[in-house]
Amino acid sequence: MSSSRIVLALAVGVAAFVCATGAARAQAPDPALVERGEYLAKAGDCAGCHTAPGAGSSAFAGGYAIPSPMGGIIASNITPSKTHGIGGYSLKDFTRAVRDGVLPDGTHLYPAMPYTAYAGVTDQDIAALYAFFMLKVAPVDSSPPKTELPFPFNVRASMIGWNLLYAGRGTAPDPGGSPQTQRGRYLVETLGHCGTCHTPRNALMGEKTSRFLGGGEVGGWHARNITPDPVAGIGAWTEDEIVAYQKHGFVPGKSVAAGPMAEAVEHSLRYLTDDDLRAIAAYLKTVPAVSEPGAARPAYAWKEARPAAVTSFETGSQRADLANAATLDGAILYNGACASCHGVDGAGTSDRFFPSLTSSTTVGSADPSNLVMTITEGVDRRGFSGHAFMQGFGRELTNAQIASVATYVAKRFGNPDVSIGEAKVAELRAGGPTPMIVKAGPAMAVAIALLVLVAVVIVVRLVRRMTMRKLPHA
Amino acid sequence: MEYDADVIVVGSGALGANAAHQLAKAGKSVIILEAGVRIPRWKIVENFRNSPAQRNFNAPYPSEPWAPTTYNPDYIENTGSFAFLPGMLKIVGGTTWHWAAACWRYIPNDMKLKSIYGVGRDWPISYDDLEPWYGRAEEALGVVGSDEEDQSGQGGAAFPHRSKPYPLPPEAKTYIFQRLQARLAPLGYNFIHEPHGRVSRPYDGRPACCGNNNCMPVCPIGAMYSGDMHVAHAEKAGAQLRTDATAYKLEKGEGGKIAAVHYRTSKGQDVRLTARYFVVAAHGLETPKLLLMSEVANSSDQVGRNLMDHSGMGLQFLADEPVWPGRGAVQQGGIFNWRDGAFRARHSAVKHAITNIMPNVDVTTRLLNAHVLGSELNRRIRDEASRWVDISTVFEMLPHPENRVEPNPSRKDALGIPMLRVHYDVDDYVKAARPVAVNDFRNFVSGMGGQVIVDDTDWQNRDHIMGTVLMGANPADSVVDGDCRTHDHKNLFLATTGVIPASGVINPTLTGVALAIRLADTIAREV
Repeated sequence: MSSSRIVLALAVGVAAFVCATGAARAQAPDPALVERGEYLAKAGDCAGCHTAPGAGSSAFAGGYAIPSPMGGIIASNITPSKTHGIGGYSLKDFTRAVRDGVLPDGTHLYPAMPYTAYAGVTDQDIAALYAFFMLKVAPVDSSPPKTELPFPFNVRASMIGWNLLYAGRGTAPDPGGSPQTQRGRYLVETLGHCGTCHTPRNALMGEKTSRFLGGGEVGGWHARNITPDPVAGIGAWTEDEIVAYQKHGFVPGKSVAAGPMAEAVEHSLRYLTDDDLRAIAAYLKTVPAVSEPGAARPAYAWKEARPAAVTSFETGSQRADLANAATLDGAILYNGACASCHGVDGAGTSDRFFPSLTSSTTVGSADPSNLVMTITEGVDRRGFSGHAFMQGFGRELTNAQIASVATYVAKRFGNPDVSIGEAKVAELRAGGPTPMIVKAGPAMAVAIALLVLVAVVIVVRLVRRMTMRKLPHA
Repeated sequence: MEYDADVIVVGSGALGANAAHQLAKAGKSVIILEAGVRIPRWKIVENFRNSPAQRNFNAPYPSEPWAPTTYNPDYIENTGSFAFLPGMLKIVGGTTWHWAAACWRYIPNDMKLKSIYGVGRDWPISYDDLEPWYGRAEEALGVVGSDEEDQSGQGGAAFPHRSKPYPLPPEAKTYIFQRLQARLAPLGYNFIHEPHGRVSRPYDGRPACCGNNNCMPVCPIGAMYSGDMHVAHAEKAGAQLRTDATAYKLEKGEGGKIAAVHYRTSKGQDVRLTARYFVVAAHGLETPKLLLMSEVANSSDQVGRNLMDHSGMGLQFLADEPVWPGRGAVQQGGIFNWRDGAFRARHSAVKHAITNIMPNVDVTTRLLNAHVLGSELNRRIRDEASRWVDISTVFEMLPHPENRVEPNPSRKDALGIPMLRVHYDVDDYVKAARPVAVNDFRNFVSGMGGQVIVDDTDWQNRDHIMGTVLMGANPADSVVDGDCRTHDHKNLFLATTGVIPASGVINPTLTGVALAIRLADTIAREV
């Protein structure tokens, strides 16, 4: 019996014990187990979705609308409320919801709940998470609004078919990895569910495993390629830089986290131990590099600001123009809206409180999504070393003005080949490019065809599984 | 009967916006009327950077013929001995676009001037009555302040009483503040950190102050509070904002109530709106003008009277060492020895604020006027701009019915609405304190080994407009009661620093916001 099998056997034993003695433990919680569960809940970023943003929202009471191309998927109340949360769940119920995305009443969760990743959570960790949620989280007796997606996505049973196609089977042991990269792999693939955002999705919204961590789209933001490709990915980042980025949300000369990545730093990564962050960095160095054709240099490698004409600063506003804010001149918009923090030359402040716009992944990227979304929504990120904040300009600037100023910023401080149009800004603000499955959604005939297709696939997979089961099973 | 709104708020400045936000948050339907337009911050910054009039804080803002402001040369006709000319803006967010965001509280004695010192008037409410709303106003504005200092200026324990700490801790002391404190405190001067609305860390959708030293005429990044922030909050909570809507008449209805407000647009359209309650939050000069034009709330004949500003003086000198003004916030505190004491029976209180505005413009203008040119000009700009000390002093005015604002019968704006006529004389109570200030000036200069540039200014405007619709317990001699409700009309409230009946020496905006939130609470209970 290998050591991993012993661990597995022990884990099953512990789980069975916890299951059998759940009621007794409620009276005598094991503080170490609860504390471990709290840490794991952070590593799993449960709060990122299940705690609504903003001051005054209750921890894990749900309500955050997770952006998806199909519409907002509203995170549920996972406090131990008997009436509105998971207070009535047994460990088995909890395990099934986390790993399989199925509630005790048989309802299928949407994969906004990353059960495809969580499928690999170990039994010990499930038990610890269960202990934390049941014993330490304060129950909240209220429910957020229900998720209401348009047809056909409101047919939750369709997830049965989707799950057969895409649901994970857990992280298989990697015989070649060191204990550190094994730990890193578990944190990246399972608890941290990094691929949920960073792996691109196919036409049916399944993760494209061939481009694992090669970059995905999240509500208008681009989740960067975090494979070791030296140009398209983070191959040229040191492990220290990858650790610092996760912990603080920024690495001078490389990148600044905003949008969903800022949420991951704020709710999850800043709380992880340095050992765990280092394990993640070590593992990310080992995944297959995903390149992007045509990418010549890393996005952060645009280091020099290009000069601007002095006349762009001296616009000679006349009194008649004082209330006219309609300009589409990127230089005027930059000088009025951006330069007071980032500087006329884009250098930011010397203490890096306001970051440089040169040597910036956001500004230098050939994909302008994050530049446009940062200008539109701003930055609001609590990292290990403090709170970074930039206001969003979505209310003060039109889409055409955002396109102008983003193009000006890219051309002066980043990739001079980037040009952004008003339509692109509108598309990103609406949540990004529409995937095929959603475009098809409203067309009834196509939707039915898809369902038929899914049904066919189900049959095929069922047959395959029945065949598989005849083989010896671990 | 159907109403257009539960509450109509006339004016979208800091006070009106905070009242509107509270009411909208409480589920009331709210319409905000604003005479001017809405301009994004970046446009104001662009206007300022391209303005040749860098010391005219109104210059980057529009002053349309249909929404004229005080810096329009015709707008105020002065008939008194003092040229009363405060800065004022008519745009969404109001005049707090270009304040310096001082957020002092009054101290208890400020509000009992008559009963303690026998001069002026008492407030009809006490400091303790207002204290909880001071806390809420500080939260709304994101006030940075010290919980440890004696703000009465006597060097004692923390004062006045606070039920909650300041929302944000004080920033580091600027170098000029440190140097003046180090050399003048031994002479007996009590320095106090100024509580202010420039957030020292991200707060309520605002970035942390990064020291642009540009609070006036506009904070370029929105770290400093301005009223437009609560207009946005109010709109998010459901309030409706109408710009280009100059209120010109409050219409009286049955039972002593106000039935409607009438406004006019720049295109000349007249619109009538009804509501259950009305809040006029239209600035300390425009509010009484609207009441007088409408012939409402004036049974006491005190509307527009008792006009007070913190009439001021200035001192500029060159210290014997570089003190590097112009780094960080434009002001950070000052000297408060004369904030309170038995002397207030005889002469006004006095506050000395240390101005920390980058002085290059003033230094250079002065040198050019003295025909200093060439390399000598460069050398002296560098030298004198580093040693420039600017003290801004204010005095406590008393309310006098003869000091007044009224609609000007002989001047009208492009909408046909009267402009303003003001009569203002600085009173003997203030003049009696001038020698006190002059003596302090002498000490400041000698304490810093200084060379005087200017120490004998005339009385100066300080843009703190009070008294014009003052509050009091007696309907016969005051306009509103302690809740800011007009004595004459149960459903008409005034949210303006014009209600303040005793002016103290502190910038009144925070108090105005506290009173505005408080009156919104009162209305929310009744609507």
